[in-house]
Amino acid sequence: MASRPSLQDRAFYALATVTAVTFVVEILFIFLRTPVEARMGIVQKIFYFHVPSAYAMYLGATACLLGSVGYLARSSDASDALALAGAEVAVVFGSIVLTTGPLWGAKAWGTFWTWDPRLTTELLSVMIYVSYLVLRAFAGDGEGERRFAAALGILGASILPIIHFSVQKWGGQHPMVITGRGGGLQDPNMKIALSLGFLAFTLLAVVLLWARARLESVKSRLRRAEEDAIDLGLDTRAEA
Amino acid sequence: MSQAESNGATGAQSGAPTSPDDRATTFQPVKGEAEHYSGEMLLVSAYAVLWVIILAWVALVWRKQAALAVRLGDLERVIGDAAKKRGS
Repeated sequence: MASRPSLQDRAFYALATVTAVTFVVEILFIFLRTPVEARMGIVQKIFYFHVPSAYAMYLGATACLLGSVGYLARSSDASDALALAGAEVAVVFGSIVLTTGPLWGAKAWGTFWTWDPRLTTELLSVMIYVSYLVLRAFAGDGEGERRFAAALGILGASILPIIHFSVQKWGGQHPMVITGRGGGLQDPNMKIALSLGFLAFTLLAVVLLWARARLESVKSRLRRAEEDAIDLGLDTRAEA
Repeated sequence: MSQAESNGATGAQSGAPTSPDDRATTFQPVKGEAEHYSGEMLLVSAYAVLWVIILAWVALVWRKQAALAVRLGDLERVIGDAAKKRGS
């Protein structure tokens, strides 16, 4: 008889379902209720998931920072799993930002890419997280490699404030739509669409982080169990 | 018509051999307005990229989980065999 799913499993599937429903509502709202922007036209609708993707990347990077600091403080598998999951989520959402942004820019600026401070720092940040993942994939899984990766995770997070304040500090072409003085979204439905986008991408980032961190944590436990089995004279590789 | 085009056309019509310079053309940028891209196409591309990246990553995680399940199955089998041997 199959075992019943644990409370944690049920919570995960419930969250994944809510995330999927939120995405469906978000997409329908963007295309059925949100007006087309007067100057940029329909391409402005990229904005409703480009900006939340950047925010989700920040969430991933923050998880990587927390996991990395946690791992340097106490070398636990859970902290390392959180750091690795955070780095992967940061790369996934960072890649979305770096591809959807230029697609918007092609229409709005007439060019796919410009070495604007916001774009350059964003690219730099994603490259740091890519290097983190390359390090984890190819440099082994020892204590030294994990600690070095944790330092890289902290370095990656240190770029985030630079990305965020680059527009205020150095200007450039990148627009600043969300401001402390109300922002540039003129229609209430535009604000609702963006809020739904933030909600959907927050939920998606949490689901992906949760799934990935759990997987990594189970992987670490399994590796330990295999090592114990080998110590007891049970060679799992030979008999498998 | 550009100078090069008019030279080339004249040369071809007269039947006289033309030099590479005569047949040369130029690539000139559009002046006055930016290059035009279809907004609908860019929007669809952006949505496609979004889902391709997310689904590719989910597929990758799925594969890792499947590999983990295989390793777990192997370990369970080895432990089960060892327990049987100990029992017999």
